[in-house]
Amino acid sequence: MSETAVRAGMGKGAKTKPDSGRMRRIWKNRAIYLMIVPGFLYFLIFKYIPMSGLIIAFQDYQAYLGVMDSPWVGLKHFERLFTEPMFFTILRNTLLLFFMNLLFYFPVPIILALMLNEVRREVFKRFIQTLVYIPHFMSWVIIVSISFVMLSMDRGIINELLVMAGFDKINFLMSSDWFRPMYIVQVIWREAGWGTIIYLAAMAAIDPGLYEASRIDGASRFRQMWHITLPSIRSVIVVLLILKIGDVLELGFEHIYLLLNSMNRDVAEIFDTYVYTAGLKQGQFSFSTAVGFFKSLIGLILVMLANWLAKKAGEEGIY
Amino acid sequence: MSIRTKRYVLLPLIMLALMAACVGISRVWTSGSTNASENQRPHISIMANLHTAEVPSDTIEKIIEEKTGTQLSIQWVPDGSYDEKVYASIATGTLPKVLYLKNAASLSYFKDEIRSGLFWEIGPYLDSYPNLSALKPEVLKNTTVDGKLYSLYQERALSRQGIIYRKDWADRLGLSAPDSLEELYEVLKRFTFDDPDGNGLDDTIGLTDRNDLIYGAFKTISSYFGTPNNWGWYQDSLQPEFRFPKYMETMKFFRKLHEEGLINRDFPITSKKDQQELFITGKAGVYVGAMSDVLSLEAKLKANDPDAVLDVHNRVRGPNGYGVWATQGYGTVVLFPKSAIPTETELKEVLAFYNELMSAELANYMYWGIEGEHYTVQDGKAMAVDSYNLREKDVKPYQALMIGGPSTIDGMLQPVTRNEAKDKAERLILDNENFLINDPTVPLESARYNEIGVRLEENMRDATYQFILGMIDEAGYEAQVESWLEEGGAQIIKEFNESYRSSTPLYNSIPRYNQEN
Repeated sequence: MSETAVRAGMGKGAKTKPDSGRMRRIWKNRAIYLMIVPGFLYFLIFKYIPMSGLIIAFQDYQAYLGVMDSPWVGLKHFERLFTEPMFFTILRNTLLLFFMNLLFYFPVPIILALMLNEVRREVFKRFIQTLVYIPHFMSWVIIVSISFVMLSMDRGIINELLVMAGFDKINFLMSSDWFRPMYIVQVIWREAGWGTIIYLAAMAAIDPGLYEASRIDGASRFRQMWHITLPSIRSVIVVLLILKIGDVLELGFEHIYLLLNSMNRDVAEIFDTYVYTAGLKQGQFSFSTAVGFFKSLIGLILVMLANWLAKKAGEEGIY
Repeated sequence: MSIRTKRYVLLPLIMLALMAACVGISRVWTSGSTNASENQRPHISIMANLHTAEVPSDTIEKIIEEKTGTQLSIQWVPDGSYDEKVYASIATGTLPKVLYLKNAASLSYFKDEIRSGLFWEIGPYLDSYPNLSALKPEVLKNTTVDGKLYSLYQERALSRQGIIYRKDWADRLGLSAPDSLEELYEVLKRFTFDDPDGNGLDDTIGLTDRNDLIYGAFKTISSYFGTPNNWGWYQDSLQPEFRFPKYMETMKFFRKLHEEGLINRDFPITSKKDQQELFITGKAGVYVGAMSDVLSLEAKLKANDPDAVLDVHNRVRGPNGYGVWATQGYGTVVLFPKSAIPTETELKEVLAFYNELMSAELANYMYWGIEGEHYTVQDGKAMAVDSYNLREKDVKPYQALMIGGPSTIDGMLQPVTRNEAKDKAERLILDNENFLINDPTVPLESARYNEIGVRLEENMRDATYQFILGMIDEAGYEAQVESWLEEGGAQIIKEFNESYRSSTPLYNSIPRYNQEN
């Protein structure tokens, strides 16, 4: 991104003699170009070169033959993926969890940020902010373990409370019905606070003059929020939404893998967990690479779609 | 855009990272062997599974290095993710010189890799090593792939499965050790509802179980019912265990236990640690698993409740009389990757090292530790010191590296008979050999099974849990069996039966267990 920005900046002053002119300009700005180098190398070494590993999706990769000598099999692994009985379940689960994420999780940090923004006692606000950030720093292992203890059928506190209130115990951990709500609640608990950071920063940049003017016009707190705060952070919301959609198939491997069990597999198995099981637990490297590749393609299409929509709606988009 | 890209190349990225990491590691190893040529000490890299929470101290490692004149680098990998780590090492071509595999199940997962020529065939070399040739031929035969021997093994009793229960609870309620499945049910029921700990609270359950249908309680109780071990004979053909009516009866038994609350309700997602926790904190009265665990369970239980008494039991009568599933006489096996051992000379070095490990002296170091520090000798027998933590830190992890065992290593110290329950457990483990149920498919082959068998079995495991928890009924379970057949099970059955018919007369002499009449 930074690269294009720099180039675009240079482009403005471009003259008609490109070759010698460009070289001279590059030399003139060598310090800036030098600064690009580490980032460029990072992406090259850790992002682009590894991508070549995708070719094993089109081979029957065998470790003792290596990438060079493994036989080529064309689209065999993709054919197998599309004919697997699990395929549609996995696709459905992945997309459904993503949409639930978008619908139930995405608005929460915005609302939380708006609420924090209304807190006028600075000390209190900072205190709350710090508190809501803390869950983000806990690993999923800890969060899932805590919820196991709380939701267990054997003396889990939630089930004990349900029994005391005269209800039946609910098998949260081993049921298809409760998996999705449990997942979303855990995501919100861990990430909502952390997600407010960017919104709060955007809100801090709003010209206070706007609020003063509206107060003189007699706007209530709620009106100010609706007509000033929200429109001002709209572009931030859109950018984050696009980025979120880019994450479409990143539902948190660790998190879901920890929650996954024999009883909720029909709703909880997603591409990531499937890739792990097929690839690293059963040694089907080529097949699991094909699955991962397919997942990436869906992700790419969705990002491009979201970006296109954002531009249609008159926002900036991310590229 | 480029920021997003990273998400799309996760798998290749992981692979590259692993590759890079492993290249790093193998550099260390290679540089190690360069040093070795300088000071003439062969360098041996080992990947082994770690059963304790922490990497052990190197006290024993130092002793082994000194006694064998080698230089070791042991890579400890947590037991829980061991097979994944092996696959990753195979995929990235970064295997160590010595690769341990956890158990018979792992060995069968990696059969394809073994066939492909990734490992040395060691059969022809064994005779030149006196200690190694003490390994039992009948057990070695069970570890062969296509009749060729690739591995050394660690001894394991044929069946360690049995019941560990609270003797004090049973005595208080006037119960005796369960002799039949009905009595077992009765014990579980009364342990749950009749306040066996006498504290006036309804805070106990009968059975504690975990998320493992094989090494947990399920398979053992299933063999009490007379279910075959993985595969069995049904009307003259080999069929998978889950198609047998006895398997269904076992599931119904567990379903009843679960419905009535005689078992921990979360057992399908309970870890081994949590399962044992229920037992050692006096919440559950019966533990079904390896009877030899009674020693450590008793130590932990007595720390919480000094009055607790444990006992072990093995003979539980089912409709077919007694029965218990058998392993094949080995636990861990050791393989020798060709990629890390390029020459025969180096292979011989490594085998010579294992030959020495099987000497009584080193076996005692690895199993018992250092005399005076970890154990004392009384009348020619070893007695471990009381400090459980010390042994766990210094000695226990190295036990996993042992090859052979008390019956193949002449002069290995026997334990002092001190713990009554543990002694009884050892006796009952021998008694189990009177009514073993063997897996008839061990010497047989099915290409389709190698390809998809494990994944298909996973579906059946899910279905078994779902039935026990009452999420599907008998018809739902049958539907799962049908889809198992459709997705390749039918072919697996066909291939195993063909393999049986075409196998040597030697195999045909295997008695047919569990024939349904």
